[in-house]
Amino acid sequence: MATEIVMPKLGMGMEKGTVVAWQKQVGDPVQKGETLVEIRSEKIEFEVEAPEDGVLLDIAVPNEGVVPCGTIIGYVGSPAELVNTDSSHVTQTTAVAVAAPPQKKIKISPVAKKIAEAAGLNIDSIVGTGPDGRITKEDVERAIAAGSPDVGPHVETKPTTATPSVAAKIPQENPQDLSAAPSEPVKVFVTGVRKAIANRMLQSLQQTAQLTITMSADVTDALEIQRQHGERIRERYDTKLTVTDFVARATVLALLEHPQVNSVFSDSEILQHTGVHLGIAVALDDGLIVPTIRNANRLSFIDLAKSVKSVSQRARSGKLHGEETGGSTFTITNLGAYGVEYFTPILNPPETGILGVGSVQDQPRYIGSELQRRSILPLSLTFDHRALDGAPAAQFLGTVKRYLEAPIHLLL
Amino acid sequence: MTSDIIVVGGGPAGYCAAIMAARLGAKVSLVEQGDLGGTCLNEGCMPTKSLLESVSLYQKVKSAYDFGIDLPVDQVVPNWVNIQRFKDKTVRQLVAGIGYLMKKNQIRVIHGQAHFVNQQVLAVETTDGTEELEADRFIIATGSEPVQLPFAPVDGEWVIHSSHALTLSQIPESLVIVGGGVIGCEFASVYSRLGTKVTIIEAADHILPAEDSDIAEILHAQLKHHGVAIHTSSSVQTLDASTMRVCFTTRDGEEQYVSAQYVLISVGRKPRIDNLGLELTGVTYTKHGVSVNEYMQTTVSHMYACGDVAGGIQLAHVAFHEGEVAAVNACSQNGQQKKVNYRAVPRCIYTSPEVASVGLTSQQAREQYGDILIGELPFAANGKALIHGEASGKVKVMVDPQFHEILGVTIVGPLATELIGQGTLMLHGEMTVDSVEDLISAHPTLSEAVREAVLQAVGKAVHI
Repeated sequence: MATEIVMPKLGMGMEKGTVVAWQKQVGDPVQKGETLVEIRSEKIEFEVEAPEDGVLLDIAVPNEGVVPCGTIIGYVGSPAELVNTDSSHVTQTTAVAVAAPPQKKIKISPVAKKIAEAAGLNIDSIVGTGPDGRITKEDVERAIAAGSPDVGPHVETKPTTATPSVAAKIPQENPQDLSAAPSEPVKVFVTGVRKAIANRMLQSLQQTAQLTITMSADVTDALEIQRQHGERIRERYDTKLTVTDFVARATVLALLEHPQVNSVFSDSEILQHTGVHLGIAVALDDGLIVPTIRNANRLSFIDLAKSVKSVSQRARSGKLHGEETGGSTFTITNLGAYGVEYFTPILNPPETGILGVGSVQDQPRYIGSELQRRSILPLSLTFDHRALDGAPAAQFLGTVKRYLEAPIHLLL
Repeated sequence: MTSDIIVVGGGPAGYCAAIMAARLGAKVSLVEQGDLGGTCLNEGCMPTKSLLESVSLYQKVKSAYDFGIDLPVDQVVPNWVNIQRFKDKTVRQLVAGIGYLMKKNQIRVIHGQAHFVNQQVLAVETTDGTEELEADRFIIATGSEPVQLPFAPVDGEWVIHSSHALTLSQIPESLVIVGGGVIGCEFASVYSRLGTKVTIIEAADHILPAEDSDIAEILHAQLKHHGVAIHTSSSVQTLDASTMRVCFTTRDGEEQYVSAQYVLISVGRKPRIDNLGLELTGVTYTKHGVSVNEYMQTTVSHMYACGDVAGGIQLAHVAFHEGEVAAVNACSQNGQQKKVNYRAVPRCIYTSPEVASVGLTSQQAREQYGDILIGELPFAANGKALIHGEASGKVKVMVDPQFHEILGVTIVGPLATELIGQGTLMLHGEMTVDSVEDLISAHPTLSEAVREAVLQAVGKAVHI
């Protein structure tokens, strides 16, 4: 009995997903737990693992197919079940104008490959008509003649002034000669994560009434804990406390006191969440993703700190689990490492608030009548005025500040 | 009597189509007026190769002294009757083999002459009378026959065609061959080495007009060495049967006469489309053959044509391919499942030396790709060829200057028709020079010459 492989739902907001790259071809043996296919939601790429040992029987949705969550994208089963299945379902999927990353096994003849490379043609986009789908010279020439756009995910740096069909006939020039060519802007195709971010950020600004308020917190005492007890904490818990950890803990506690900030606004109702699913914005080389720490309110300070580190690291290496993406109820974003103090974070829809953390500034402050050197943390809270008014938002931010300035309460 | 598929003609295209269709589950009948195997087995490829093999052996034995073997060479003589017997035995065995394949694949073979009554009905005149056959789909594979000169009809006595030339009662003293193409050159190679005084009259400026002139020159020299008189850019004017004289004009416009015991007309073959009732089917055809699309489908969708009758390249291995394609499509739901692929069709000439090519000639390659690269390796630089005692000839490889695609391979020399298989694979696989650079060819072999010639095109050959 063949097992269906479906497009997973990686969080509440995910309605459809894109098949990025099948790692196996039909007929290839697969082992349980082995990566079968890479898929992508709007914000994250995810590896779907084989549910059992067997062979990949069929690919129902090819690379770059976009389908709703729950759609069958392939089948795994015993080799005996390997049959030529009807491929008509493949055509029902929406082909989008982005190309997959280069696959490991594309059958292409030596000369076809050379011609495609010379024409800057992405071979993933060419349909092979040779034996077993091998791409032939004729296929490449047809693709060039058809003006097939170069839709590769790579950065196109070669200025192409001639038409593709002409370009294919021009002998390749020495790359050094390119410097003599007229300079043209470097073209980067908006695909994948970049495209998802672009869409979501624009949607956020267009569909919410967001504004930002700022406040500073004196984190001198918190940093003193870090300084005095950091070594012992590292020994005992194998983790290092950072400012973000203090802010995360303070935010979780503040959200429990101000549930209206831990909410989602829809047209006719405001859903207040009881659990805090904390999103931590993580910068990547080619974008940004927001992994989620689910039920952060149930974690101790140390466990929360460990979770923040864990999800951040795995987000950077692309190894997040499905439940760790999407579904956050409030997000923290930290630009402190870049020296930024106050800024205006953009809401991560459908959340109501996002807290921007700046870089700690040592400043003179009056404590009573005495001027002291204090460590001041800039905080920027963006909130959706449709769900929340200024006063409660300010009260929430004040609570965060209060926790940060009395760190003993963060630990209790 | 109704079949799923009726194949008209039992030559290479027809029998291949029948077998393929039967294997795909169709109920198949095949109509053949002569012996199974068609021209290839009975009057073409196979019997000529048998004669050529006998002659080559004779020639080799005569040269035994060069290899250190003392033989009473003057007592070594060809026995024409036994050479014919060997040929006939080989042909009989092959024809029986086709008969066995028909039986094994449960194909009904009907011996008789077929003509269409309409698009659905085929009438076959058998020894038992006329049988009318119906089928869902038809495959026309009636082959071709030699073209005749309008002013000199073939009489089988003095003016003969290739079939007659295979079965002459004795080795002729003299033979004029009109047409220096593949068939003419092969017969020249047979009879000249048996002592016949052979004259070739060819209208083009070199023999083997389909190949490059430098290749033809090598064969030309060897034929001359065997005593063949070759007149190129010459045309036959009259054939006088009473005096057994052939009048032709030479390159310079001069009239010349040559006497011969036989005149072999080998100026090409034409599709066999007459008396088939094709006009009653609505199928479009011209004197060049039945018109087909790339699915070997005629203008009437349930009728297919393949092999020589469909025009195009008149080679048995092309007919095999076309027959299979026609059968696959005739057995498919929409009638169009598989396209023909003529990308890599080898062309073989079994003369001494053999000539074989695949892909473009250098002339064709220049027309399509401009200033192409050419790699050549003379067999004089190949140790095994020297040991064979056949150092004349070469391997020539045409390479596209931009992507270094291997566009064509031509071999003239020992076992060229076997060696060309390498070139065929290279073209079939759309190989480039760099993709075979690290190929390891066995040493010492003739095969090495192919790789070396490929590398020579980019200046990387070692042994030259």
